[in-house]
Amino acid sequence: MATKKLGFVVRTLPYKIEGSRLAMTHAISSQTVEIYLEDGDNVEPVVCFIGDGVLNCLKNQQAMKHYGLTSLEQHVKNSLLLDLNVLICKEDVDRLGLKEDALIMDAEDIGGETKARIVPYSEIQKAMESVDHLLFC
Amino acid sequence: MKLGVFLSDYRSGADVLDRLTADKLGIIFVGNGVYCATIKENGKTSSVLEKKAAYYVLSEDLESRGFSAANVDGRVKVVTYGDVVDLIFNDYEKTIWI
Amino acid sequence: MGKLTIGTFSSLVGSVSLDFSIKLSEAAIQKGHKVDLWVSGNGTMLSKKGQKAFKDYSALAKKVQELIATGNLQVTACEACAEARGYHKEDTMEGVKRFSMDWYLASTFTADRVLHIGGD
Repeated sequence: MATKKLGFVVRTLPYKIEGSRLAMTHAISSQTVEIYLEDGDNVEPVVCFIGDGVLNCLKNQQAMKHYGLTSLEQHVKNSLLLDLNVLICKEDVDRLGLKEDALIMDAEDIGGETKARIVPYSEIQKAMESVDHLLFC
Repeated sequence: MKLGVFLSDYRSGADVLDRLTADKLGIIFVGNGVYCATIKENGKTSSVLEKKAAYYVLSEDLESRGFSAANVDGRVKVVTYGDVVDLIFNDYEKTIWI
Repeated sequence: MGKLTIGTFSSLVGSVSLDFSIKLSEAAIQKGHKVDLWVSGNGTMLSKKGQKAFKDYSALAKKVQELIATGNLQVTACEACAEARGYHKEDTMEGVKRFSMDWYLASTFTADRVLHIGGD
């Protein structure tokens, strides 16, 4: 029985390229990865937003209304609903002039209990060191 | 951790590199990243080369862009795809692409 | 020898990142390793059959088929990403598989090394 940890490190902006969207959907797919593995084995993702990538976490994204696209906001919420560990870099949040209340920090409105955490980059560095594989997106 | 970074861009990625720390860090210039190993802009080499790391540049991407080993900064080792495979399996337990 | 999982989400034509992935796969296989190549997003273009080889465009289909035939390269396309782009099962190049995104995560479970090339 083993668990492999994957670090999805999101640094790209949403919508113009798919990198952050696909990072979220792949991380969320960890919910069903067991069907391919031996009993008791699993893959556990952690999602870290760094650099301009923290802008994926803004609230009030209207992509569904204007483009018929699931927003990155919804994907972040879904990942919290599924109890994924979501970390947002504090230094980049501050650099970009963002406040915590402008960011998606929880999925309580859809029944989620896990919260995203705004953490110093040093904690994200530790998360990167602790995983088995890194996927920069 | 032992981390290999594939730098594929000339104008972006430096911000990520600035913050990365590793017990052993390798930076492998591929794609447009090869310009970091060859171009002196306003007489200065790329700031990416100032980091404490082992530097490599992919020869196939270097030559595709009109450079030869003679154009490469002395701090950077020219490698082939075969060498890159060895770096991935033998030197760096984690690799990222930026 | 080991297993390398590569995830490439870049377009077939334009960034040359898929070319990199294929050449790296070939070099790894020549050294005795196995490779899983997962293509998702615009990278699913690689899975489409009927690609024509013109010199101004990346032409990878022939090399992909050669490497699959060695038995040491497995190319898998994201089914949802492919379908969203109008590539159906019958459009898929021979030897290329299609699965959902969890397949990629499962591949990383048994990989010795993972290289994720995340997009255009």
